[in-house]
Amino acid sequence: MSDHGSHGHDDVPAGEGKLFGLLAEYDTPGELVDAARKVRDAGYTDFDCYSPFPVHGIDEAMGIKRTILPLLIFGGGFTGLVGGIALQWYCNAYKWGWNISGKPTWSLPANIPIAFETTILISVLTAFFGMWALNKLPQVWHPFFRSERFGRVTDDAFLIGIESDDKRFDLEGTKQLLIDAGAIAVESCHKDPDLSKAVMPKWLLALIVASTAFALIPLAIAAKARNSKSSEPHYHIFPDMDFQPKFKSDQPNDLFADGRSNRGEIDGTIPRGSLNADDVFYRGLEGGDWTHGFPKTYPDGREFVIDDKLVKRGQNRFNIYCTPCHGYDGNGNGAVPQRVKLNGGAWAARNLVDPKADVIRMPNGQLFNTISNGYNTMMGYGAQIPQSDRWAIVIYVRALERAQNASLDDVPADQRTNMPGGTMGGGK
Amino acid sequence: MSLEKTLHPDEKIKAGKIGGSLAKTGLAIAVVFLAISLVLGATYGDHWKRFMYAYLIGWTFIFSICLGCLWITILHHLVRGRWVTAIRRIAEAIATAFPLVFVAGLGFVLPVLLGYKNLYYWAHPDAHDPELNHNLLHKLGWLEPGFFTVRFVIYGVAFSSIAAYFARKSREQDESGDPKISTTLRVASAPAMILYSFATCFAAFDILMSLSPAWYSTIYGVNFWGSAMVGGMATLGLVVLGIQRTGRLTHSVNASHYHDIGKWMFAFTFFWAYTQFSQFMLQWYGNMPEETVWYKYRLFGDWQWVSIAMLVGFWLFPFVFLMSRWTKRIVPSFVFFAVWQLVFHWLDIYWNVMPNYDWQTDYHGTASVVAGPLSGNIAYHHVGFTPLDITVWIGLIGVLLIGIGRNLTGNLIPVKDPTLGLSLAHDVM
Repeated sequence: MSDHGSHGHDDVPAGEGKLFGLLAEYDTPGELVDAARKVRDAGYTDFDCYSPFPVHGIDEAMGIKRTILPLLIFGGGFTGLVGGIALQWYCNAYKWGWNISGKPTWSLPANIPIAFETTILISVLTAFFGMWALNKLPQVWHPFFRSERFGRVTDDAFLIGIESDDKRFDLEGTKQLLIDAGAIAVESCHKDPDLSKAVMPKWLLALIVASTAFALIPLAIAAKARNSKSSEPHYHIFPDMDFQPKFKSDQPNDLFADGRSNRGEIDGTIPRGSLNADDVFYRGLEGGDWTHGFPKTYPDGREFVIDDKLVKRGQNRFNIYCTPCHGYDGNGNGAVPQRVKLNGGAWAARNLVDPKADVIRMPNGQLFNTISNGYNTMMGYGAQIPQSDRWAIVIYVRALERAQNASLDDVPADQRTNMPGGTMGGGK
Repeated sequence: MSLEKTLHPDEKIKAGKIGGSLAKTGLAIAVVFLAISLVLGATYGDHWKRFMYAYLIGWTFIFSICLGCLWITILHHLVRGRWVTAIRRIAEAIATAFPLVFVAGLGFVLPVLLGYKNLYYWAHPDAHDPELNHNLLHKLGWLEPGFFTVRFVIYGVAFSSIAAYFARKSREQDESGDPKISTTLRVASAPAMILYSFATCFAAFDILMSLSPAWYSTIYGVNFWGSAMVGGMATLGLVVLGIQRTGRLTHSVNASHYHDIGKWMFAFTFFWAYTQFSQFMLQWYGNMPEETVWYKYRLFGDWQWVSIAMLVGFWLFPFVFLMSRWTKRIVPSFVFFAVWQLVFHWLDIYWNVMPNYDWQTDYHGTASVVAGPLSGNIAYHHVGFTPLDITVWIGLIGVLLIGIGRNLTGNLIPVKDPTLGLSLAHDVM
């Protein structure tokens, strides 16, 4: 409801024009409700109550049925739920399946948050626009706006308006009814005699047409691009952001003889901290061949001590990085080969502890290099495991080989009674 | 039509004898059913373990109902609520049952303090086994019988004193009619709400979540609270209805009050599902064994049927039907859903507690070690309802009725509360 109506149209007297209806003012919300009940009981249907705030009980007094809006919202919410799930099924499971951390592509728990949001979204939109539609909004003009009294309806006036279209409307009788119901004032309200003043201003119409046409330009460009071929480059809205005056490392460059933007390292120089001079520690090499020993020191100068702590560290890293393929006891039967077998395939990782196989005879340096750079189908772990940990793993693999090929004599005498069998055979 | 109403001249607002007779009924129920439970528990032949679990479930049920009613009392003051005023005295009466509820709680706390080791695994000596429970050792300083008991007493004192304070001040206003008391309570409600939230969260961690001590979920307390609110609102509605059936408060409490209690029930029904799903989805996505183990023993084997029943019974069915206006305003329908949600609230606690019941034995070397809850083959984990669950539950509801009955004295409505007029005219459009 607007209180601007009574202003700006003062040039047209409210009393002229075709009769639209009667407007009656009541003193309090309570009297408004009582009056509305009387009007309803008299059989009127084309009437409405106007008040500055919602009045409890007015719906029942006016005989208004409960709104169907909740049902519409429920329908909207349900549509959102089904639509949200269908969208995800189409995108994630049907059209563009994508493996995310081994979950099935069609997996309900992952879809519920989105479905929840679409449910809320569609039900809220239904509530908002449904409310407008059911109230026949937006309504930019109403004949009652011509009344000075009606301007106070957003402030302190409680009004009933009965329209002359109502079957029971009869100017004198209806006026008497409103007065009997306790009205403090009743006035008749007329339609604008000059309807040309009630139409939308031309400039507003022009603005709407122009802005609508303007909004269609991007769509038209997209439609044209989809249906025609062109050798011209794409449209760029911000060309200075798309084409910046700089070179990226993988772009060609005429400035330099080799034609590259990326200048690389300068011959004969090494970045600070990248000397990696210790061949044994960094590459497992000693005198150009794989080392059979271990580094003497760490790069920071600490002595390289093989102790229980380092072996435990090696076990910990081994169990994280190596066991998926090589298994906990190093026999090459980890979870991945087992899974391959379950799927009907046959692939085993290298057996690290088999006395007849290669790995057990590899020098320490070669083991280190294998962890760093990979071997056959095994990829390198250099990027993930620092050198000190790679050496710890090498030590642990050596310990595993020893343990998996041990006999009862290797066990201290006082602990032999705990052993399940005569020997601890390799593998299970 | 007016926005405020005055108390109806014929309204019966005095509690009279209902408090006493409710307490007597509660006492009879408690004595009979707890005695039966003791006999059943003794004959169960597992060193009282089944009895202790059933007792913990029943106790959590009555504890959570008091929690729900205390919350609505604090919230009413915090947000300067209006509609609750007419039923607030009843909510206060249920919340002030806290001291008795906590005394009943000693039924499982004292045995733990005195060395009973089969209820909480952290109280079991094998929990200290470094090889088996390396992920538990660092928690055993917190989960320790002595400290556990101290915290239980702290929760008891905190909840009881908040409830007692709000109830006492409200009754003072009945005498003096001083509107400043409402202001005092509003100021007190903010710190009370903070204390309440922390105490609820930590109580849920200590009493329920620590049943599977290695597992953790930070939303656990919030989820428990959501379930507790459903139980609290359902009970509040049923108690108010019961009081109206005795001819009291018949003009003061109208369909709109039940409508709003029902809305809270509806809201927290969804809130429970929302937080439970939040907990589930993060652990399901993260897929870490120490987290998923909790759901593994609930979503597979026998327990999956309970989980499905929870989803449909505690969420889907009441969610769809409580959405409508009439289901909350028509008395038989309101009663149906209140009772339904109370039963499922109990099942929710059962579903949280009982999968922790089966403790498997692990062997290393020649030694056998009790591996605690959530271990071993799922096929050996059974739902295992027993009559004991029901008898202890009813017996402890009897205890709650004693607590409520003792507080139903004097005025059943805060007669001089400044917002009473608004509450009496409460009308949900």
